[in-house]
Formats: sequence, structure tokens, C-alpha cells
Amino acid sequence: MRVKAKPVTSGVAEGQAIVSRMPISFTGGMDPDTGIIREPGHALEGRSVAGKILVFPTGKGSTTGSWQFYAAYKRGSAPKGIINVKADGVVAVSAIITATPMVHEPDKDPFECIEDGDYVRIDANRGIIEIEKKKT
Amino acid sequence: MELSKKQEEMLEGKQGRGAQKAMEILLAYGECYNAKRMIPVTSVHMAGNFPVLLDEGIEWLEDLARDGTRVLVYTTKNPEMFDFEQAEELKIPHIYQVRQKRIDAALRSLGVTLTYSCHHYLVGNVPRFGDHIAWASSGSQVFANSVIGARSNRDGDHVALAAAIAGVIPEWGLHLNENRKGELLIDVGALSLDQYDPSSYKALGWYLGKIVGTNIPVFINLPPNMNIEEVKGLLYTLTVTGATGLVHLVGITPEAYTLEAAFAGKPPAFSEITVSQDQVDKAYMEISSSSDENVDLVIFGCPQCSIQEVQEIANMLEGKRVHPETQLWICTSAWVKTLCKRMGLLDKLVSSGARVVADVGAADGPHLYLREQGVRVIAMNSARGSYYAHNLFGMDTWFGSTRQCVQTAISGRWEGRKR
Repeated sequence: MRVKAKPVTSGVAEGQAIVSRMPISFTGGMDPDTGIIREPGHALEGRSVAGKILVFPTGKGSTTGSWQFYAAYKRGSAPKGIINVKADGVVAVSAIITATPMVHEPDKDPFECIEDGDYVRIDANRGIIEIEKKKT
Repeated sequence: MELSKKQEEMLEGKQGRGAQKAMEILLAYGECYNAKRMIPVTSVHMAGNFPVLLDEGIEWLEDLARDGTRVLVYTTKNPEMFDFEQAEELKIPHIYQVRQKRIDAALRSLGVTLTYSCHHYLVGNVPRFGDHIAWASSGSQVFANSVIGARSNRDGDHVALAAAIAGVIPEWGLHLNENRKGELLIDVGALSLDQYDPSSYKALGWYLGKIVGTNIPVFINLPPNMNIEEVKGLLYTLTVTGATGLVHLVGITPEAYTLEAAFAGKPPAFSEITVSQDQVDKAYMEISSSSDENVDLVIFGCPQCSIQEVQEIANMLEGKRVHPETQLWICTSAWVKTLCKRMGLLDKLVSSGARVVADVGAADGPHLYLREQGVRVIAMNSARGSYYAHNLFGMDTWFGSTRQCVQTAISGRWEGRKR
């Protein structure tokens, strides 16, 4: 399936999707050593976003999140690509300084068409998300 | 996005690599939000300190500063981990001293003024009504928009610093009139606000932040004599559980001198949200995360204490002594600490066993080494501080009023509301 979206950065990334219907704060919410979401009660609590295509509605919390994302990126623990419903400024600049392919404002509800484990390709040059459903 | 000749030159690297990097960040950021142009900024404030920057962040700053890049706009900096004058007294480990020296050097080279304060608007970084600014730190950003009427988005440090270096920021979001209209009417008239102290306003903010989310709320029926500590208590907590950038306090916010002005037109006929005291009481209890009543540390200063707050704490401590098993810290800026010395407050506080610590905030920096020194259970009058100390550093926290916290410091046991 193909979904159009608005590019935040450029470049192409592909990998397994990890999906959160809850907003994410990179400061306090994600361990920069491992990429594990550590916010108590979070939908992704205890799961790592490292090397994944991270799908979530928007950012929240501290405006220092871009430092924690940058550290995670340098440690190889950041997601490979990001899909947001609406890019919060802190998440957008996190993707910009790490050249992480990112899109937002997709034409279709990403929570309807992407599930955990689907293989997702983000083409942030053209603003296209390609979804290959996981085999069940 | 349309760039001026000067901005194009920056982007091409004609003004150095740092300016080029700054313009690249701003351009990508502006295009993400469909900004049409860049507009000049008059004031910048940076938020991050070592616990969030980590070594990689220090290297990023050092790299930016490497070729002589300088900010074009007055830029101040949030609190750090400690004041070098107190490094020995606070037993600061060598590894943190080295890190903070590197941050100092990189920021000084960039031309960032080393205020190490989150009440930068009390120490010289004061924008005017209508100014376009870039203030990272979600609490002071909402203060600038809602109390001063200056205009800042929820930018984050990398954008704020890029704006300081380029002198401009993309025009989008809260920089534009049409995005500053109220979106949600909140009536607090059912509460007995005449009996509220700042801690009650923080509980109110904690509850409402979750409902407000990223919307622009409009508050009606606030008391006309609401003081600045109460205003700060409400605003700084709304941005912990929510992510709003602008709050219209009718009668207080310059753009909301009337209800009609807040909505830039006809307000809704009924308020969407009314608040009951039960909801505020429940939120008050939610802020604390501890169940252990023996308190290791009582810590004030999130945001950093003003001289009035230090005076208030000193008055409550008059003739008393801090419990030998409990520490009492008052975190503030170097300026307020100097005033404390001059007013004779510092000697008084020290002789009752309290400590005035400059250049740090009660929410983050110090908890890095305090935790290593065995501090676990802390008491605070800040809901914001409680949230970050617990979630970022794993501290067990108690939340209450200033008086309850001072009494706790004296008895060594939590004296406020229990969960």
C-alpha cells in the first residue's frame, strides 16, 4: 500500500514498523543508550525503537528532547525513520539534525494502515510511505 | 520558502560553517511548517544541560563553535549542574566538573551569556509585547507568550540556537496572529480561589494540562489580584502534563484583556470545561510519587527561587534548625544569591542549616550527583520539579506547599498531604 505524506526531512529509510498511538517525549521517555521507551504506562514501555520505523501521533514533554534523540542516534539506538500525524517542533528538529528520514500529515490515518512488524519504506524525498503487511 | 540575499549567503556557507548549519536547520524547520519567510528574533533562551546533552551533545556544541560561530542575538542559558564556587562544598565528582567546563567553554565561544538561570526574564532577558523570540524551555516559553505577550513557538534548543546564530526564525505557528486565538474556554469560577496558594494552582494546572493538550485555553473567573507566583504555578505546570504554548488568562494576558479579545471575536456561549475542587484535590495527590515518609532532601527552585521566595522560606525558618538527617536546598540564580548575601539572608539561612545553591534548578542538574550521594526521597513545592526529578532521575517525590516543605526540613518527615 502507498500513502502520501508531507516530508519533514529528505532521504529514504526502510525497516520494521513500531507503532504507538500515544505521543512520545524523548527526554525522560526514551533511554538514549538502548532506544527503549521507559515512560511508565506508555504504550511502548519496555520496547526498543532502535533501528525501527517509528510511527506515533506527535511529540510531547520537554523541549530538550532533540539532545536525547541526538545522543541515541550517535549511539546507534535511534529509530531509522519517523512517521508522525503532526510533527511537533522538537521531533522535527531531532530528525533534521540527524538527517533521519521523516514525514508527517499522511493522507490516510497511519494507525489504520500500519501495524507493529509491518515492513515500511519512507521516501522523504517524494513524500511517500510504502507499507508491506507482515505475514500472519 | 523565500530567503533574503543575506540568508542565501548563509546557506551557501559564505558566513562560515556554523551559520550555514544554522540556516540549514531553520530552512528545513520552516519548510516543514509551510513558513513563507524568516523574521528577525530579538531574544533567545537555551534549555538543555548536561543530563540531557550527554557527551554527544557537548560535542555537537563544540563542533558548532569550532570555526568562530557567534550568536547575533542576546541569548541566555538555563541552569546547569552546579556553581564552580560550590564545587567542593557540594562534592561534585570530577567527571561532571570536566563536562560542565566544556559546556561553559563552548557556550562562551558561541557568545551565549552564561546566566544559568530559568528566571532569565528577571535577570535581563526581557522581550517586549509583540516581539518574536525563540525560548526553549516549555515553562518560560508559555510565560513569554501568556504574560509578556512576546511570541515564541515550542522550538527546542537546536532551533533556538540556530535562530540566535542566524538572527531569524521561520514565521509560523504562534508568530502569526491567526494562530494565537483562544480555542477552549475554561471556567474556574466554581473553585474557592481566594483560598488558593501557589501549590493549589499547580494542582489545578496538573489536572487541566491533560485536558488542554496542545490547544490554546482561555481561563475566566480567575481572581483579579492573582499574584505572579500563582500565575507561574499554573502556567509552568500546564506545560508538564500538556504541551500548550499559549494560555489566555483573561484580564492578565496582554492579548486577552477581554474574553472577546482572547477569542479574537465571539466567544463560545458556554464554557467547554468547568473544574471542581474534587478534581483538583485528586490531581494534588497524583503529583507525589513517594510512599516513604523519611525525607532526605527538601529542594526549592523549579523554576529558580526569586528573592521574594527566598525571603519567604527564611521567614518560615526563623529560629528553627534543619533536621540533621535532612538537607534543605534553595536553588536560584547567581544574581539572587548575591542579593541574599547583601540582604543578610544567606548567613541566616546557612546558620539554620539550609543551603543556597546558585546556577542550578531543582528539577534536574543536581539530581545526577545527589542520587549518587544516596539521596532518594525528596520534597518539593514544584509539580514540574517533582515530575522531572521522578521521571528523569528516579527520585521518590513529595509535593506540597512551601510551608509544608519547610516544616518537613525541620522534622525530617513529610508534613504535607499523603497519598
